[in-house]
Amino acid sequence: MVTKEQIFEAVSTVNDPEVGFNLVEMGLIYDASCDEDMKVVVTMTLSTKACPLHQMIVQWVKEAVLRELPSVMEADVELVWEPEWNVSMATDEVKAKLGGM
Amino acid sequence: MAVSTDFAPPFKLIAPYFIIGAVILVLSTFLLFTFDITTIQSVEPNLLAWVHLFLLSFVMMVIFGAMAQLIPVVLEVGHFAVDLYYVIYPLLFIGTVLMAIGFHSVPIILPFGGVTVLIALSIFLFETSLTIKKVEKYNFVILSVLIANIFLAIGMIFGIIMALGYAGVIIVDIPALLHAHIFLVFVGYVGVTIMGMSLILLPMFWLSHSFSWDYVKSALVILALGVISIALSPILNILILDTIGYILSIIASTLYFYQVYIIYKKRVRIENDIYFKSLIFSYISLLTALILGMSYLVAPSEKLIISTGWLLIGGYISFLIVGHLYKIVPFLVWYERFSPLVGKEKVPMLADMIPQKSANLQFWLNSIGIIISTLGILFESNEIFYSGVSFLSMGSLFVLKDIIYMIRFKS
Repeated sequence: MVTKEQIFEAVSTVNDPEVGFNLVEMGLIYDASCDEDMKVVVTMTLSTKACPLHQMIVQWVKEAVLRELPSVMEADVELVWEPEWNVSMATDEVKAKLGGM
Repeated sequence: MAVSTDFAPPFKLIAPYFIIGAVILVLSTFLLFTFDITTIQSVEPNLLAWVHLFLLSFVMMVIFGAMAQLIPVVLEVGHFAVDLYYVIYPLLFIGTVLMAIGFHSVPIILPFGGVTVLIALSIFLFETSLTIKKVEKYNFVILSVLIANIFLAIGMIFGIIMALGYAGVIIVDIPALLHAHIFLVFVGYVGVTIMGMSLILLPMFWLSHSFSWDYVKSALVILALGVISIALSPILNILILDTIGYILSIIASTLYFYQVYIIYKKRVRIENDIYFKSLIFSYISLLTALILGMSYLVAPSEKLIISTGWLLIGGYISFLIVGHLYKIVPFLVWYERFSPLVGKEKVPMLADMIPQKSANLQFWLNSIGIIISTLGILFESNEIFYSGVSFLSMGSLFVLKDIIYMIRFKS
């Protein structure tokens, strides 16, 4: 099995092309787990429900897990809207670069 | 939740809308040199030609192109028949050119242009209506799309009646219908569409969260009542409905402005990019237009109402559209050209695709141009107005150059 930290590291290779930060430092990845069959499930959200890259970002997350963690057999994404994302979930570096905090 | 990107139209379908829009922006800006600002209140044929060219082939053209991409995002369903957009833009363009020539010098071709535009708009309404029909659960933004399209349909009917009257085919009271036509299309369609779409786009680009939508919901209802009031005025021949409509529109615009201010205050992405600057200038133009509009209600004056209209068209709507072009065009190009390469090779960020210096230059040229040209209208001076138009002409050329640059961006 792979750890939650390893999965987060794999997903951190995915960048949001609009804001330029990766999904993990944006705080968009809520949880991740791997079962005994080496199936990974990533629980995540998006900064807006109207994100036009919605499906593409989900696909990039799956691809990143499979690419960065070769032992994983299957990757799935559970997209959730609760809790709603806000900037307090992002890292301090992201907050500083966004300039809003 | 449905997946919007499944239904995203190909870029080759949308690109002509933005290219034609930018070309017409340049053309219509240069045509401003033919205006005599001291007699413009008499609604001369060249003014009618210009207004239709600008509003249909720049404003509506770009909005339709954007809607091709935004409707699936907002409605969370695929287009009913997205290929219909391949016939909307040529018909809209040809029809508008015929209308402009008709207004300017050959009235007999006006109905032909009007009918061609009518067909283009009807196809757009048909496609949008059947797309809306697929929606299972309505929300505020979807409702705004629906209301906007109903106003466009009614405004279109008023327009074609006026076109037939203008060409001498039927006898109608054109001045009585004019206000209703302008309000239905310009405020009812363009205004309501902007209200609805900005609630999706502003929080998305500014990363604004946790704010109430109450002000804009009230604004939409009040604006719709205002448009209905003005549309009924010539039908019922009750002139007070016009005044009520104007007052309601000003109240609605003020509420909308305040809603935008709330979204602005809640933003976490503080980046003074071309989008941000364009929108700030746009909303300052709206605020100034509101002040001038209210001044007109207190002390009616032709130059006040003309400068209000000019600030709304040239300042508020134009800057809003151009600002969004610097977001929408790079996104569409990136989506088409670079998204398949993610994870395989280094891809540019969306901001990398914007020619920053050129974009800033056009912003300053156009901003200075709008300020000076508005002063020209207020002081009834052709010299000052043409000075402003000189800046606008240069600015519009940079907009066109930037659109082409972003569309052709390789890496």
